[in-house]
Amino acid sequence: MSATNARGMGGFHDTRHISPSALSARSYGRALLAAAREDQRIVCLGADLSASTQTDLFRDELPTRFFMMGIQEANMVGAAGGMARAGDIPFCHSFCVFITRRVYDQIAMQVAYPKLPVKLVGFLPGLATELGVSHQAIDDVALMRSLPNMVVVEPCGPEQIGSAFAAALSHDGPVYLRLMTSSARPDDGKPAVPFTIGKAEIARRGQDVAIIAAGIMVQQALDAADALMERGISATVVNMASLKPLDETVVKELAQTHKLIVTAENHSRIGGLGSAVAETIALRGLRVGFGMIGVDDVFSEGAKLPYLLEKHRLTGKHIANTTEALWRDRVKP
Amino acid sequence: MTRHVPPINDLENIARSLRRSVVSMIDSVRVGYLLQGLGAADIFTALFFSELNLKTEDPNWADRDRFILSTAHNTALLYATFAHRGYFPISRLETYTRDGSELEVNASERMGSIIEATCGSLGQGLSVAVGMALSLRRRGSEARVYVVLGDGELQEGQVWEAALSASSFGLDNLCMIVDRNYLQAEGHSDRVVKMDPIPEKFESFGWKATEVDGNNLTELLDALRSARATKGKPFLINALTKTGAGVPFLEGQLSHVALLAPEDAQRALAHLEGQVK
Repeated sequence: MSATNARGMGGFHDTRHISPSALSARSYGRALLAAAREDQRIVCLGADLSASTQTDLFRDELPTRFFMMGIQEANMVGAAGGMARAGDIPFCHSFCVFITRRVYDQIAMQVAYPKLPVKLVGFLPGLATELGVSHQAIDDVALMRSLPNMVVVEPCGPEQIGSAFAAALSHDGPVYLRLMTSSARPDDGKPAVPFTIGKAEIARRGQDVAIIAAGIMVQQALDAADALMERGISATVVNMASLKPLDETVVKELAQTHKLIVTAENHSRIGGLGSAVAETIALRGLRVGFGMIGVDDVFSEGAKLPYLLEKHRLTGKHIANTTEALWRDRVKP
Repeated sequence: MTRHVPPINDLENIARSLRRSVVSMIDSVRVGYLLQGLGAADIFTALFFSELNLKTEDPNWADRDRFILSTAHNTALLYATFAHRGYFPISRLETYTRDGSELEVNASERMGSIIEATCGSLGQGLSVAVGMALSLRRRGSEARVYVVLGDGELQEGQVWEAALSASSFGLDNLCMIVDRNYLQAEGHSDRVVKMDPIPEKFESFGWKATEVDGNNLTELLDALRSARATKGKPFLINALTKTGAGVPFLEGQLSHVALLAPEDAQRALAHLEGQVK
C-alpha cells in the first residue's frame, strides 16, 4: 500500500458510542434513528420505500441527512460509495432482492472492494412476500457471502434487531442486514438476544441433533425441536445470525457433541447458510451426519408466507419430519 | 476562490510532456491505451495543472477537489499526470502495469485516495461523484467534484440514473467531462449506439451543458470556469477530442488497443519533442 493511502481501504477508525436506545430498539427504524441522533456521519438513503424499510422515522426527524434517491438502486449504491469515501456512514435501503442481486456489481466495486462502511439493509427476506418471484430474495445470502470484505447478518427477530444493528454500525466495513419487518412478530416482551459478528447464539440446548437456523427459521427450528422432543429426539437450536463470518467454532463444537447437524434457511439450499455449514464440516473434516433444509433449486411464486413455508416444506413440522428421517436413516439405522 | 491559471504556453508544454510519457510507458510494456491517452491529455492538463484544488503533499486533504476517471483504463495518461503533478516520482511510471505494481491497467484504490474511486466497471463513476458532491455540500465544503466519462460509457443506463439524480439534487459542485472521441472497443461509437446530441440530452435532464474542442486548452479552461460559475445545476463539458492528438500520423485513428512498432514510437516521441514539424 502506498504512502498516499492514509485514508486506507477501510474507511475510518474511531471509537463510536452507540446509544442504549439504539441497542434496545425492537425495530430497525428506531435503532437507526436513535444511533443517527448521536452520530452526525450516519446518512440514510432510500429508493422509494421509506415506509416499507422503516426509514420514514429518519426522514421526518433528520431530513438533511435523508436522501431519497428514487427508484434508482444502482445509483443509490454508487452514491453511497461516494458518500462513504467523503466520511459518511451511509445506510442504503430497499427490499433484499433489490439491495443485492440488482446492484451486485455496484456493491462489489463501490462498497466491498474499497471496504467502505456502507450498510446495505434489505427487507422481505427469502419467501417473505406475496409479490412473487420479482421480490423474493432466495439467492441474496449466496451472492453477498461470496463478496470479499462483506459481512452478512440476519437477526432472528425484533429481539435481536438492536444488537445486530449496533454490530453493523460498529463494524468498520460493509455489512448486509437481511431483515424481516417487525410487524410480522410484534413480540416486544421477549428478552433481547445479543449479537456479535462471527458468533452464533444457542437458542435451545439438546443432545442428539443440532438445527442451525437464521432469521425467521429460528422460530421454525424451535417449533421443530418441540415436535422432535415428543418423538424422543433431543434437539439443540442454534441461531446463526452471523451468516458471514460464520461461527465455525460453534459448528465444530456441535459436530463433536451431536450426531446430526441440520441447517434450516429461508433461502435456496445453494450458497446460503447450509452451504456455509457444509463447507465448514467438509473443510475441517468433521465427522457428523448432515442435512440441509431450504428452498429447492426452483423459483417460488407469490403467496402468503405460511402457505409458501408449507409448500416448500420449511415449517417446524417439516423440519422435524426431515430431521427425524435423517436421524433414523443415517444415525440410528 | 481565485485559482492560479498558468500561461497557456506552459500548459501546452505540460500536455506535450504527458503525451511523451504516455507513448514511452505504453511502448515499454506493450500494454495500455495509447490513442485515448494522447486524445485526453489536454483535458487532464486543464484539470490537474489549472482547475483542480489539490495539495500534492497532503493527498487526503478533506477539502481537495475530487477527480474520478470513470472509465479507469486511460491510465498511462492518468499516472503520467500524477507523476508530473508531483504525487510521485516520474521514475515510478516505469512500473506501469508490471506484475505487483499498484499502477494497474485499470486504476484502483490500491494506490490510495489519489484514486478517489475504483471504476472501470463502466457507468459507475458519475454515481460516486453524486455521492461525494452530496456529502461535501452537506459539510459546507467548497471542494468540487470532477468526473471524466468516456463517450461509449454513456451507453450504460446507470449514467442516466445518476444524471437525473445530480440535477434533482441541484449539484452545482459537480462537473462532468465527457471525452467524446467516438471510439469504443467495437469501433466507431456511432456505429454501435447513436448518442448525439450529448449536450442537449443532458440539458433535457436538467444540466447546464457546453461543447468544446477537447484538444484546445483555452476552450477547456473557459468551460471549466463556466462550470464553476454555474449555480443550482450540475455542469457537463462535452469535450470533442481527437484520438492520437498531438502526433499527426496517429490523429483520428480508431483503434481501442493500438500499439506502435518501436520505430513508430520513436517517430511519435520525435514529433512530441518538436523535432519534426
